[in-house]
Amino acid sequence: MKPVVEFDEVSKWYGNVIGVNKLTIRVPAGVTGLLGPNGAGKSTLLQLATGQLFPSQGTVTVLGQRVWGNTSLNRFIGLCPEQDAFYEWMTGWDFIHTCARLGGLNRIDAKDAAGRALESVGMTKNKDRAVRGYSKGMRQRTKLAQALVHDPEVLFLDEPMTGTDPVARRDLMDIIQRLGGEGKSVMVSSHVLHEVQSLTPNIILMNRGRLVAEGNIREIRELIDKHPHHIVLVCNEYRKLAARLVEWDDVEGVKVLARAQGLMVETRSPDAFYGRLPQLSLEAGTAIDEVYSDDDNLEAVFKYLVNK
Amino acid sequence: MTTAALRSAHDSSYLASLWTLFVLAVRQHLHGKRWMVMAALFVLPALLAVVIRATASDAPSIWLEFILIFMFIPQALLPLVALVYSSGIIQDEQEDQTLTYLLIRPIPRWSIYVVKLLAALVMTVILTAIFTTLTYIVIHVGADSAVTNLPSRCAKAVVIHSTAVVAYCCLFGLIGLMTKRALVVGIIYAAVVEGILANLPLSIRMVTVIYYTRIMAYRSMEFIADVPHKGLDIAAGAWKLDSKVDPQLSEHPSLALCVLILGVASMIFTTIAAVMCSRREFHVKTPEGS
Repeated sequence: MKPVVEFDEVSKWYGNVIGVNKLTIRVPAGVTGLLGPNGAGKSTLLQLATGQLFPSQGTVTVLGQRVWGNTSLNRFIGLCPEQDAFYEWMTGWDFIHTCARLGGLNRIDAKDAAGRALESVGMTKNKDRAVRGYSKGMRQRTKLAQALVHDPEVLFLDEPMTGTDPVARRDLMDIIQRLGGEGKSVMVSSHVLHEVQSLTPNIILMNRGRLVAEGNIREIRELIDKHPHHIVLVCNEYRKLAARLVEWDDVEGVKVLARAQGLMVETRSPDAFYGRLPQLSLEAGTAIDEVYSDDDNLEAVFKYLVNK
Repeated sequence: MTTAALRSAHDSSYLASLWTLFVLAVRQHLHGKRWMVMAALFVLPALLAVVIRATASDAPSIWLEFILIFMFIPQALLPLVALVYSSGIIQDEQEDQTLTYLLIRPIPRWSIYVVKLLAALVMTVILTAIFTTLTYIVIHVGADSAVTNLPSRCAKAVVIHSTAVVAYCCLFGLIGLMTKRALVVGIIYAAVVEGILANLPLSIRMVTVIYYTRIMAYRSMEFIADVPHKGLDIAAGAWKLDSKVDPQLSEHPSLALCVLILGVASMIFTTIAAVMCSRREFHVKTPEGS
């Protein structure tokens, strides 16, 4: 399948500071999560993809077309920017209607589109209030509505859930999933991993302007095995258990967690390790009360990959 | 749909986008307090005229007209209003972080600048026209004025001031793209170049807007004060125009040439700024520098 967004050896420098470093990615249709800590280069990537920034090196294409200076492409692209900025004196409806008109819709179409966009983000009942009086959640919904108003094919959402309450967050996630279901290509940036995890299995991990990993969460999980796993074992006789574990070849380290009455074990062979644990637990004096690992969720994947 | 029909639809939607942008820019000007501050400043010449007429009833109205309308307004107010309205055409949106909403629309960057400049021109020309007329009314209505054909003089003054403010706006719009300290640079420019150089009887004054403004005013109307035994050409003295030796001012440009020079300069400034806009990135800061 032809990628919707393509970065080919793209670098972006701000003077001596690197925003994005030799980034090559191909984003397929559907919902894609863009993950990385603050300063990872996520916003730079999205600004490059929406033609706001010019790549210092390499090429950026969206829907097969170069982005920079190609303003007609903006008819097919929607961006929900990260910054919490509006024409504060406008009402929500006025703002969305103006964005629709700026997007080239005629008066009648713009009116219909504004109504639809506000409806789709659940802002119809608040549309006649001034934006300056909106809550954070309402502002995020309104930003999303302006990105949707011209019915774009590709949506770039920069930290759309930031600062929202749990209800608004859930609603926004539902909206994004619905958009994906409607056939839109959506690229969502976030530094909160569980948000993206519940939105899509397709992720791009970035750190310090570089691509750390990209693809399906499962594929990325495979990368984990190249890195040590940390497994926590809670056991009353944790010191005795530690003595047994250090004898195992695949255990690379054992850290005593005295306060938690447990151990943090580092291993590069988690499957083999987990396989031997039941027997160890059965042996007298080393009954293990609890076993858990952060590696079971995306947070652990992220930690491993960005810190490698 | 035929190719011609598609092109027509595209053109009309493009024009609709530009019109929306223009309306948005004008609404931004009207929603701020800027126009009220500017109006308060612009009303100063009229207030001064009221005070002078109340305290010195024998002051010739031609003197008042010359000092307030042809010295104070073009020297102090026009550069200021132009600077305030045009130096932040893009910068203000960038600082407010709303520029993104314009950059992600199917509107070329150069036309964003040009349309927003047009909105600034409309605002400044309207302010200039209203308050120049108001000052004329306050100076001359009810006064025992020797000045004849007031409506014509007022109209000429409005046109001359509007031409000047357009040139100033185009210049300060360009400066606003070249430096983040456009207000400071603009004030220094207005004080040094338009304030000092323009008053030197040297060719250097030909690089100033106010020089052409003065020549246009001098060539299109008279500023002769009634003094005992002879008329005094107050403009020639104040503007260092050697009308005694050269009554036709043959060393100075004609009225048409002045308009042409200011018009061409305005277009050059606008073109340079539009090209800069189309090639430049505008960094809108993001909350965490992410």
